[in-house]
Amino acid sequence: MNAPTHLANGRVDRRTFLALTAAATMAGGTALAQKRGGTLRLSAQSNPSSLNPQTGNSGSDHVILYPLYDTLVEWDYTTLQAKPGLAEKWAYPDPSTLVLTIRDGVMFHDGTRCDGAAVRYNLLRAKNDERSNIKSDLATVEDITASGQTVTLKLKSPDSALPLILSDRAGMISSPKAMEEHGRDYDRRPVGTGAMKFVSWADNERVVMTKNDGYWKKDRPLQDGMVFQIIPELPTGLRSVTAGQNDMVYYLVPQQKQLIERARNVGSAVGPSLLCVHAYFNYGRAPLDNVKVRQALNYAVDREEFNKATHGGIAETTSTILPRSHWACATEFSGTFTYDPDRARKLLAEGGHPNGIDILGIGYAEQLQVQQQEVLIEQMRKAGIRLRWERYTGPPTPTAFFAEKKGDLLLAPWTGRPDPSLTYQLVFGAGSYFNAGRGEGAPGLTEALLASRASDDLAVRKEAFRQLQKIVTENALHLPLLFRPELTAFGPRVKGYKPNLLGKPKFEDVWLEG
Amino acid sequence: MLANSPRLRLVGRRFVQIIPVIVLATFVVFGLLKLVPGDLAATLAGEYATEARVAQIRAEYGLDDPFLVQYGRWLLNAVQLDLSRSFQSNEPVLDQILHRFPTTMLLVVGALLISLVVGIPLGILAATHAGSRLDTVVTSLSSFGVALPNFWLAMILVATLSLSWGWFPATGAVRFASDPQGAIWHAVLPSIALAAGGIAEVVRQLRSALIEILSSQYVRTLYAKGLSPAAILWKHGLKNVAVTLLTVIGLLISRLLGGAVVIEAVFAIPGMGSMVVRAAIVKDFPVVQGVVFTMVILVIAINMVIDLLYTVVDPRVALK
Amino acid sequence: MRRLRDWLGGNAAAVVSLFFLVGLFVLALAAPLIAPYPPTGQNLGNTLAEPSWAHWMGTDDLGRDVFSRLIHGAPSTLFASFLAVSVATVIGVPVGLLAGFMGGWVDDVISRVIDTLLSFPGIVLAIGVTGALGIGLTNAMIAVGIVFSPGLARLMRAQTLVVKQELYVDASRCFGASLSRILLKHVAPNAIQPVIVQVTLLLAVALLAEASLSFLGLGVQPPLPSWGGMLARAYNYMEIAPEQMYAPGIAILLTALAFNTLGEALRQALDPTRRRR
Repeated sequence: MNAPTHLANGRVDRRTFLALTAAATMAGGTALAQKRGGTLRLSAQSNPSSLNPQTGNSGSDHVILYPLYDTLVEWDYTTLQAKPGLAEKWAYPDPSTLVLTIRDGVMFHDGTRCDGAAVRYNLLRAKNDERSNIKSDLATVEDITASGQTVTLKLKSPDSALPLILSDRAGMISSPKAMEEHGRDYDRRPVGTGAMKFVSWADNERVVMTKNDGYWKKDRPLQDGMVFQIIPELPTGLRSVTAGQNDMVYYLVPQQKQLIERARNVGSAVGPSLLCVHAYFNYGRAPLDNVKVRQALNYAVDREEFNKATHGGIAETTSTILPRSHWACATEFSGTFTYDPDRARKLLAEGGHPNGIDILGIGYAEQLQVQQQEVLIEQMRKAGIRLRWERYTGPPTPTAFFAEKKGDLLLAPWTGRPDPSLTYQLVFGAGSYFNAGRGEGAPGLTEALLASRASDDLAVRKEAFRQLQKIVTENALHLPLLFRPELTAFGPRVKGYKPNLLGKPKFEDVWLEG
Repeated sequence: MLANSPRLRLVGRRFVQIIPVIVLATFVVFGLLKLVPGDLAATLAGEYATEARVAQIRAEYGLDDPFLVQYGRWLLNAVQLDLSRSFQSNEPVLDQILHRFPTTMLLVVGALLISLVVGIPLGILAATHAGSRLDTVVTSLSSFGVALPNFWLAMILVATLSLSWGWFPATGAVRFASDPQGAIWHAVLPSIALAAGGIAEVVRQLRSALIEILSSQYVRTLYAKGLSPAAILWKHGLKNVAVTLLTVIGLLISRLLGGAVVIEAVFAIPGMGSMVVRAAIVKDFPVVQGVVFTMVILVIAINMVIDLLYTVVDPRVALK
Repeated sequence: MRRLRDWLGGNAAAVVSLFFLVGLFVLALAAPLIAPYPPTGQNLGNTLAEPSWAHWMGTDDLGRDVFSRLIHGAPSTLFASFLAVSVATVIGVPVGLLAGFMGGWVDDVISRVIDTLLSFPGIVLAIGVTGALGIGLTNAMIAVGIVFSPGLARLMRAQTLVVKQELYVDASRCFGASLSRILLKHVAPNAIQPVIVQVTLLLAVALLAEASLSFLGLGVQPPLPSWGGMLARAYNYMEIAPEQMYAPGIAILLTALAFNTLGEALRQALDPTRRRR
């Protein structure tokens, strides 16, 4: 692959991405020699939080959920615009009504039919069940009715984000029979309509799937089965592919690109992604309730240097939460925060901290995360910000910050959502879990959030997102750093892999040679 | 039959003795885990959790009950082979342990075998040539073995034998039940890394025990009677060091179990060690408690077997 | 010098070990003066460099001088070992002394507790405790110390049982000395020798335990350098910079070896049966 030359300017823009995918497709001769069979062995970084899409809470679950479940709506790999999935079409007869038509004849893995009633059951459960983690996704839905293959959603207020919300967890449809039968145990016995049927899940070890012979998509699945081996340390995961124990590893960090290039027989694909490496602020209390301090932190970071040291220089640095290639990105704010330690010091002084300031960060104890934390310590020191870290591993890390309210900031990636309004709503919305202070970060934010979902006209929405980003940037509500490109490495037998803009890999087009 | 009855009594006595040990051990662990700062229920509830949901979880897991009630409940269930469920996955802890137990035991047994197969001949060589240059070499090598960080050895083995030369897999494990050959293949490097300290321990203990015996009055008499050195070594020396060897084996198993924790991390092996590290870090206490409980039982059981073997090797022990 | 050698049983290896350890202590105390670079000073333009005149052991993934980090890693590593062994001694010695001297039900209870704690695989317990109390070196090493304490207690108890039979103990009891005086003046000093040997050997075990915990990310917290932590980072770059893992590994190996050699020499020097031979 000629990826390095394309990436020389340190950006993966959409054109490069398209070129890359095209190159990958041409080189592989996709159309010609697609072969069926073989078990695809993948190295996954984390154990799924649950295989019930409604009760899981980790952004990395999706990669394992996609083969098991179809979503009502799917998205285009390159533009992330909505396209039909389990729902073969949808329409808004009026701004407060969404009508879905469910594909006929699709069966769940347990042999029951996926009809309108089944979809209604899932959506109601996602909205009302006490264990549902996606209640807020469907907050605008007032009432759901179903007849035959038609499902009608009555909305409290116009919500143009819904179709893409239904390409996420909320749109993954489970067999109502299995959900009823297993209750809480359904978390570990998923039954969907997807290309793969669930076989077994040994915690922190592996998830095993076998092909769904009656799958509705033509010529799919291409594999006989899939196995996700859970290997928490990425370098070890990559090593498992280099040494041939696995076929693919995803979510690698760009630094590992040089490791891949040195390895024999290992190919790689770089795609853009919505995964934003940033620090969440707790602006509900001092010292980050002070906008000057928040701005100071943003000016104290040299994003380009951070990119070079921790992401091999191939990531897209940013001052916003959406990448430049995204349709809703207000690019005028993408480069607002330039590296300027003097300005940071001045802002600190204006904010009442002439002698610098102590900041406590919460972070993961995993090596590559620690490396990022160490770079930030050095950079901020030069602006008079004394940054310390308190580290945790796994789920207790976000819990410490969001629930137990420890620390002033949290360095953790945001994996992005198919519809951008959800990203803004979840990260900055008043009362959202990911807003540690829970309050409204800046006046006007709540109205701007509502406005971003009011129309389904793309141009109108784009302007609404510009207003929203303006509020976020002016008030420096977080510390955006860069978008981590989605880096996947694979062994010599793997063909046909295509990255997508969401950055959560799907493997439906992958096949194994020989 | 006559020989058996004191042995049976010994087993009976040991059983009575270990019950308080087990109760105490689990009590200590349970107590330590209750020192945890922070709200466990909030971690369990995850994102979007309402206060009501957190309270409900607290009630569900009995986190509001007094400490002794929680412990009593756990112990009562444990006696009935119910080690409760993982906070993280809601799976029965016992199932998880049984699933991972064979993987870890393969490493431990492999390392033990390597330790004995390499350590015993070296120990005998060193003892029979005590004071010679050979002895010095073997003794200094064993000193290195004891001081060697096993995870560092593991890293070096991975870098050379598996990444550079591709002889062995670098990561993972295969279940013995499904593919014995593959399982052993995967276990070779981790077992070697784990065994380095074990070899050294066997050499040291065996050497000093043998030297003691070979320089005893009794053996000197045998020499005087004209027996060949080889005959003395095989007939009298080795028989008498069997007790020492048994002690070393008991010690090693407990130590290898501990060492496996770090080695499993280096090789990304899904065994009990990586399970307990992960559980401890994410505060999945039923799992930590369950693994420690299993390991304590295992160590105690092995010690009991070894006590019994003492009586086989040296009948005088049973009379005490 | 000669007396030192005599005391160490004429053991050349022990003398070398002693010098090595003393050197290490000096290095640890004077780290800021000796190290050519600050241990956390990054140079992102010169990462994973090979050894050169400017950087004797090369640089790490953030362009920090490996040699300086190695030197600055010594204090925390030594501190950790001594902390763990101190905790073990402070708990183990008095408990063993009490059990051995009092006998009866006190001894029974304490011996049972010791048996219990000895059946734990040490590092597993240390990991459990660190996970519970929070990640950090101090917590980790206190846990390791607790794990070590029953071994010392058992040794101290056995020694006390021997010493308390001695005539001078009986004598002082007859003269009406108080219990604490008998324990402190007569029993403890005479029973402590094997414990000193054991403590020296434990320093090596504690060092390895610290390295393991730091390797697992539970010990010394970056950006502070530690040998185990350096190895954990080096593990990530094994394919492209394998030399990163040599220096910290050898440092751990040599230090543990020195503690062991010294302990063995002490054992020989203090063992009356050996001396006679």
